[in-house]
Amino acid sequence: MSANRWLATGNYFTTYQEEQRIFFTAIDRLLFAFFLAALFLWPFFVELDSKYMLVIDNILVAVIAVLGLNMVTGFAGLISVGHAAFVGVGAYTVACCARIIGDQHVLITHAWPLMILVSGFMGAIFGLVVGLPALRLKHLYLVMATLSFQMIFEWTIGFMDFFNQGQTIYVGRVVWFTGEVGRNEHYLFWYYALLTVVVICGFAVRNLLRTRYGRCLVAVRDNDRAADAMGMHPGFTKVYAFGLAGFLAGIAGSMHAYLYRGVGMESFTLHESIQYLAMTIVGGLGALTGSFFGPAAIKILDLQVESLAEWALNYLPSTMNLATALRPLSFGLVIVLFLMFEPRGIANWWRILRSYVKLWPFRY
Amino acid sequence: MSYFFQLVVSGIVVGSIYALSAIGFVLIYKSSRVLNLAHGQIIATGAFITYALTVMAHIPIYISFVLSMIFTFFLAMSVERIFLRRLIGEPIISVIMVTIGLMSIIDGLIYLTPFGSENFSFPPFLPEQPIIYAGVSISYTQLVGVIITFILIGVFSWFFKKSTVGISMRAVSDDQLASMSIGVSVPRVFGLAWATAGLSAAAAGSVIGNITGLNFGTLHAFGIIVFPVVILGGLDSLLGAVVAGIIMGLIQQFASGYLDGNWGLYGTANVLPYILLLVLLLFKPHGLFGTHEIERV
Repeated sequence: MSANRWLATGNYFTTYQEEQRIFFTAIDRLLFAFFLAALFLWPFFVELDSKYMLVIDNILVAVIAVLGLNMVTGFAGLISVGHAAFVGVGAYTVACCARIIGDQHVLITHAWPLMILVSGFMGAIFGLVVGLPALRLKHLYLVMATLSFQMIFEWTIGFMDFFNQGQTIYVGRVVWFTGEVGRNEHYLFWYYALLTVVVICGFAVRNLLRTRYGRCLVAVRDNDRAADAMGMHPGFTKVYAFGLAGFLAGIAGSMHAYLYRGVGMESFTLHESIQYLAMTIVGGLGALTGSFFGPAAIKILDLQVESLAEWALNYLPSTMNLATALRPLSFGLVIVLFLMFEPRGIANWWRILRSYVKLWPFRY
Repeated sequence: MSYFFQLVVSGIVVGSIYALSAIGFVLIYKSSRVLNLAHGQIIATGAFITYALTVMAHIPIYISFVLSMIFTFFLAMSVERIFLRRLIGEPIISVIMVTIGLMSIIDGLIYLTPFGSENFSFPPFLPEQPIIYAGVSISYTQLVGVIITFILIGVFSWFFKKSTVGISMRAVSDDQLASMSIGVSVPRVFGLAWATAGLSAAAAGSVIGNITGLNFGTLHAFGIIVFPVVILGGLDSLLGAVVAGIIMGLIQQFASGYLDGNWGLYGTANVLPYILLLVLLLFKPHGLFGTHEIERV
């Protein structure tokens, strides 16, 4: 690295290690630190309605899940239409424990970080098993494999008494150093917990992508024969992508369970899987920033659609549920329009914006 | 023993509908290599249009059956023209995603109509007394459904084997570049393949609607169960779709006839096809009749 640490001007990469740095200049690092600090500090200054706090928490849960889906669909190029089922595996891991040892057990309430980790590993195991056909098969058959996992998951949950047949299974309130997390600070507490996990996962994924294993994923996506010739094992790489996606999905699922203090089937249906796909596409396939933009965009769209439906109900005499109709309609439209007109997603807009700001006042 | 034969008969009835649904799917895959995940939604659209024309517009059911087939013919054709034509040459992943998006869009549109939430059933137009032979009963609706299905399957296979359009479709599925060089219009063939698939979907939807009644959830399930069927039969084989459809129907009927209620199991008919699908993908992904040349990792 040359002498100038603050600006990108005049810096040339002389080693590959330098090119793989997360932050190129000290300004980038500083800005990012400010951004993170702002994320952690704003709740001290702004009092937000708990409804909107829940939306923000939901976005963060979806960010963790979409980080996983982007790993498997964006970076490794394998379509998974069963991602909600993997999220469900994580959530139901917590729910099973609550069912076996009681929802007020010390393990659930005090050792929740451990529970979250365990759910992540459960998700990873399921991901590895479902990903096994990837050893032999490509995209289109994998759609089938993940779809059938989704259907089997839905059936199992709906069928077994142990899972309360898809009805809500309660999970106890967690305990922090300051005592039990009460009703008032519940969403705020989980905002911090989720934000911490998101930051850790985000950095972990970013770091993974510049290691040999992460670049392996991209290489196999772009040309699996060439990757094979370079000494990678395409099959194992794909299975391992599924395992990673399952891990992140499991974490998201368990946090979802704790956030809602209960697990029910309706959050892990095929429809939700499609919603996760929509988030990934809208955010940008194969772009890390996309995993953050996508969930935010879709959840905000969801909120808008809901209020639109409520508003329209004042003018419509019918008893029909407009929200159930408008939701899939808007998701479908968003997926199709983004694929047709902006296949690189919002992440691409972000990239354009950044390069514009960097060069301002000159044009590219 | 008559219980067994009863299951066989109803298995064949259900299976032939699966076959008819799967044929449209295979048609699209065979000619354009697109996995159409929205096929179930097109089936549902066809069924609802037949119902709407019959009951709300008081058109005789046979005519509305044909009319809805014509409608989905153009619907599927325009879907191909508007959404998928632009994506020729794009990676297959975005093509599959677009069909997932379409699935969502058509879902939303159907939920906008009363058909999304309520149950309907076709007015009876055939004798209601079932035919009973040696303890095995089959209703006239089922019988007519099966007959229509087999007629259509026959027509489709004749179309594919003998007619010029069918031959050009097979040519395109074999080698797009070569067929282009001998004057086959590839985009037109894609459009026609989608249109024929839409036609068969409407037929399947109407038959299902007559047999089981119209419920969006049921029709949805039909659209998804097509996937195990086509994988079992081989993704690009019409014969495979028919055979696998009937096998799947028999498996489901036997499962609900012999497994449900024993060992505390129920609803196994809804999950067995998917377990079979996972196993198939691991050991025999090209199915019973599919081309062995499949994309390997």
